[in-house]
Formats: sequence, structure tokens, C-alpha cells
Amino acid sequence: MKTDKILLDHGSGGKISHSLFSQLILPLFENSALAQQDDGAVLEVGGQQLAFSTDSYVVDPIFFPGGNIGDLAVNGTINDVSMCGAHPLFISAGLIMEEGFPIEDLKVILKTMAHAAKKAGVQIVTGDTKVVPRGKADKIFINTSGIGLIPKGVNVSGNHAKPGDKIIVSGTIADHGITVLSTREGLKFDSDVKSDSAPLNHMVKAILDSGCDVHVLRDPTRGGLGTTLNEIASQSNVQIQIFEESLPVHNSVKGICELLGFDPLYIANEGKLIAFVPEDDADKVLKIIQQDEFGKDAVVIGEVKESNPGKVVMQTAIGGLRRVDMLTGEQLPRIC
Amino acid sequence: MGLKYVDEYRDASLAKQLISKINDVSEKPLRLMEVCGTHTMSIFRHGIRTVLPGNITLLAGPGCPVCVTAQKDIDAFIQFARMDDVIVTTFGDLIKVPGSGSSLAREQSLGADVRIVYSVFDATNIAKENPGQQVVFCGVGFETTIPTIAASVLTASGDGLENFSIYSANKLTPPALAALMEADGVEIDGFILPGHVSVITGTDAYRGTFEKYDIPSVISGFEPVDILKAVLMLVEQNEKGVPALENAYPRAVSDQGNTKAKIIVDQVFEICDASWRGIGTIPQSGMCLKDAFHSFDAAIKFAMDLPDVPEPKGCACGEILMGLKTPKECKLYKKRCTPMDPVGPCMVSSEGACAAFIKYSN
Repeated sequence: MKTDKILLDHGSGGKISHSLFSQLILPLFENSALAQQDDGAVLEVGGQQLAFSTDSYVVDPIFFPGGNIGDLAVNGTINDVSMCGAHPLFISAGLIMEEGFPIEDLKVILKTMAHAAKKAGVQIVTGDTKVVPRGKADKIFINTSGIGLIPKGVNVSGNHAKPGDKIIVSGTIADHGITVLSTREGLKFDSDVKSDSAPLNHMVKAILDSGCDVHVLRDPTRGGLGTTLNEIASQSNVQIQIFEESLPVHNSVKGICELLGFDPLYIANEGKLIAFVPEDDADKVLKIIQQDEFGKDAVVIGEVKESNPGKVVMQTAIGGLRRVDMLTGEQLPRIC
Repeated sequence: MGLKYVDEYRDASLAKQLISKINDVSEKPLRLMEVCGTHTMSIFRHGIRTVLPGNITLLAGPGCPVCVTAQKDIDAFIQFARMDDVIVTTFGDLIKVPGSGSSLAREQSLGADVRIVYSVFDATNIAKENPGQQVVFCGVGFETTIPTIAASVLTASGDGLENFSIYSANKLTPPALAALMEADGVEIDGFILPGHVSVITGTDAYRGTFEKYDIPSVISGFEPVDILKAVLMLVEQNEKGVPALENAYPRAVSDQGNTKAKIIVDQVFEICDASWRGIGTIPQSGMCLKDAFHSFDAAIKFAMDLPDVPEPKGCACGEILMGLKTPKECKLYKKRCTPMDPVGPCMVSSEGACAAFIKYSN
């Protein structure tokens, strides 16, 4: 059934979101920077390469274990800029608030934003506030944009994965999505899961400063690791193979996923990156990531192959093979 | 770190031993049907098909609750969603299933109040919080979900909750197995029987079907080691020519099942005929509310009695559920019918055979 309306699925980050982008948005705004389809646009201004990215945050609930919508909005944009191989410098923040929103809550969110920016070493230099009548928005929405400088010689993109590359993930997957889901009204899990919201710019700087060859950097946010790997397999026209036994997933997260029928591969992360690195440099990059405060659990989860380009496959723990497809729409809890 | 009761049943070395034993023992071509949708999903998720010998074919059966829900029942849910002052509550799986021209997701985008719940008791709570509105729960599922639905009706009745009702499209497993055995052209050499359902029903519930048709039957859990063990048991039964009803999931399933749950179900529901998508009406295979609870029956409360509707032309969902066709043999598969734009429920539900084929296999 084709739809003439926007469905929640259009915001899932899966195939339906992609078709909205490729069929409606890209043809209208067509330009080479947008066509790269990376986390941010890479632009050349006066001989200097800039990365520019924007993202909107509408998370519900706005406060959750491990963070709130404020640090999520700052870290998210810092990470998108960083994944272009850039050092993020300046951020903008646009707030859309619902009439009646408590000023106390706003204070907490703004303080968290200031703290997150300071920790990452970026400045929030411009912004905007708007208020809409009660019921016309849900409490508070935040948009952030960020710019950063790409050092000379750095060239990372989702297009650059090459057969033989090792794939490193910087820590446990699915923490953020499962935290938000289990905090959301109606799902009262008593668990120790918390969001992984964190700035990754220092980690990226350490990787790039090491002189190691890095082909791809991505943060697997909305749509999760499975969706991001599919994007890269398709952008680079390669096959990606991952190993189920290597995937780092917290026990509580694994338990909640089992209970609800969710696959952690498709659950959002907000403080993790994946790096595609040629085999010769893989150990070195892994160690650098593990030395970062947000990368202690980093592991190699797979490698890039030549055959079956565009596909992502997983070797299961029992030795079977299965495809990891891109999610179509939102994952829904199953009946039994 | 391990996840208790899960990791030991995903143990790679144990799984590999079972796989090698299956390869050693299995000679005859075998068509084994996993009755339950959760098994289908687990089989794909762990790549079990890719480790079995080529002479063993696994068929997805009629145990995906969304897939067997008749089109007229989906249409009823959509009708409820279109009513003023009605909140439709549903398990997530159901929301994208196309009825005749719409789906709950589409109605939601047009402004209908459709809410995904994780338990039927979320629906009774919504009813308590919204006394001015009627809350309808879409009752879909097998023996596993029926007890909690029955409990919610008892609670609602005790609390005098007048704005809560359920539309029961709930179904029973053993009559479906019997219907499969009676159907023309169906070739099945053994059933991998559902684990969750059997926790409630117990092994005894299948004895009648087993004795009548003499078909190898093994109850299985959902982890790869559970499933491989059940496959091995079915292979051994077939190779020896000695069919049996066996329980490979004794850590959860007893002979009698969950008697407390069964008592609650008996208080609220009675067995009635039910319409199965693609299969038709199977006598004595559904659960209807008893007369004493008619005020909680949404079909009666809203006089919702829609006629049977023909299923979408070309959709082979029914034949796939009966093991007569594989998804790839459906003319619409991956052409007119995709997860982005599904025609039949087998392509929608996460447990549907077609959705699983597309998602997990090349």
C-alpha cells in the first residue's frame, strides 16, 4: 500500500527514510556535497576543507538515564562533524518549546548543553528560541548544526571502504535506543542500562593524528549498526561480513532485546563509532580507540570482502550465515 | 558475561556437535514444519537453514499470529480506529498489516488514536485513564497470549471498567495442525511444535492429533541448540520409522501445561469456529468470550460483523503457511510485494515467512 502521508516509519532511518531522501529530497536540492550522503557535508572554502552538519532531536522522554535531550543534541552534531574527519569548532542551537514547558527543565537542559560543549571543546555560538501553543509540539525539540575543519590529508567517507579493511566498533551497541525505549511510559524495566551519549571528537582526533590510514568513520545512530553497515556497503560497493560472536552487547540490553523481540543491530547508539581500517593499521587504531574514555570496549567485528557487493552478511555463533538487511521501517515489538 | 538460560543454548560447540550428528544420521529427504513464527525467525536469525544438510527442508507453518489473522478481522480493527472517541490498542506487529485499502498505521497517520501496547493490561490502564473514551484491544495470538487477555477481562469485570472491550481473533494451535494434515497436497514429515504455546497447553494437548495422524512431533525451545536438538529428534524418528510425540523443551514445558492459566481462560472464553487467513474456517479453532462477558466483546458492543473478504489477488500467504509454497514461489514476492509495500501479512510481520526470507537470506 503506497502512502500519500508521512508515516512514523519515514523517520526510522531505515529503507523508508532513505527512499524519502533519495526520491524527494536529493533530486530537488541536487548538489555534489549532498549526493555524498555522509553524516555531514564536506565543503571547500578558501582552500580549506570544512565539514558542516545538522540534526534535530525530538527524543521522548527528554530526560533518561545517562543524559537528556540537551547533551544528546550537542554530542550528536559534534559526532556527525567528527565522522567527516573534522575537528568540530562551532555549534548552533535552535529550541522549539511547547507553551507551558517548565523553565526549571529548560535550565537543566541548557546547563547540560553547556557542559557537553565544554567537554568536547566546542562553542555554541548562535541559536534561536521559538515557542508554539500547547499541544503543537511535544515539550521541547532541539536542532543543532555544527562546523569543523578537516586537517590536510584527511579523506574519510562512506565511499572509501576497501576489500581487506577491518571493521572496528568503539564499544557496546544498542545502549541508547534500549534506554530510551525502556524509560518511555508504559515500559517499566528495572535495569542498569544507560544511554551512551558522548562526544567522540577527541577519539577521532587521536585516530587521525596517529597517521594511520582510515577509510571510513561513521557513528551508527538512528537505525543502528545494521543500517549504517548497509549504507557503507552500498556507498562503497563492497560486501561487509561481521561475526555475531564479536558483537559487544551489554547483558541487560541483550535481555531486553530478547524480551521484546528487538535486534540490537538496529537499535540507536549515540556515543559509538565504527572505523574501517586497512588490516596493517587495524591493531594500532583499535588500541588508540581503547585508550579513549569512551572506547574501552572497542573490538574488531568484521571485515570487508569483494564478492556480493552491497550486501552485509553475518556469521552466526553456530557457524551459519545470514544476511543483515537494512531495516525497512521502525522495529515493532512482537506479539509473543 | 553470560545471559542465563540463553547463552548455554547458543553454545557454538554444542550446536556444532548437533549439526554433525544430524548430518551423520539424516539420509531420507525430509520436510519439517516449524509451526511457530518465533521459530521461523530464530531459524533465520541463527542461520540454521545454512547448516542443515540439503535433504532437510524447513517449512514455515501457520503460527505467525499476524499472518493467520483473517482480512475481515484486520478490516474490523481499521473500522474501530475510524470511530470517534475510540482508542485502538494493539500489539506492534499488527499495525502495518494492510486490510482492504488501509492499515492501522495509515489510520494513525490520518489522526486515529491507535496505540501500541506491550501487554493487554496497558490497554486496561488506558481505559481507566480515559473514562470518556472507548478502548478496544485487538485480540490476536495463540494459547500464549490468551491467558493474559482472559485475566484482563476478569480484572475489567471486577473493576466495573465499562469502556474496555476486546475483539477476539485469538486462535488455537492443535486444530490448525489437524487441518494441515487433512488438507490436499500437504506433505509434512514432522512438526517442530511451538515452545511458548506448549508452556500453556502442555504436551498432552497434541496427543489427539499425534495419535490420529501418527506424525513425528517434537516440542522445541527457541535457541539454536533447542531447535537443532528437535530437528535431530525428528530426523531420528523418521530414519527409524517410529513416529513419537516428544518434548525437547522440558525446562519450560510439562505434560499438563500451566493449569492456572488454563482455568482463567476457561472462565472467560469458550471454543468457537475461527477464520484463518488463506486456510478458511477451521472448526473449533478459535476463542470467543462467554455470554457472561459479552459486555467486553467489542464485536457485540459495536455490532461489528464484517463479511469475509477475498484476499489480495496473487498473494500466496495461505499456501505458504500450509507449506504448499515457499515465499519465492509466490508471484508477488519481491515484485509487487515487498517489506516497503507489502500485499499480504506474511511480508509484514517480523515472524512472517516472506519478511524473514527477504530480511535474512540472499
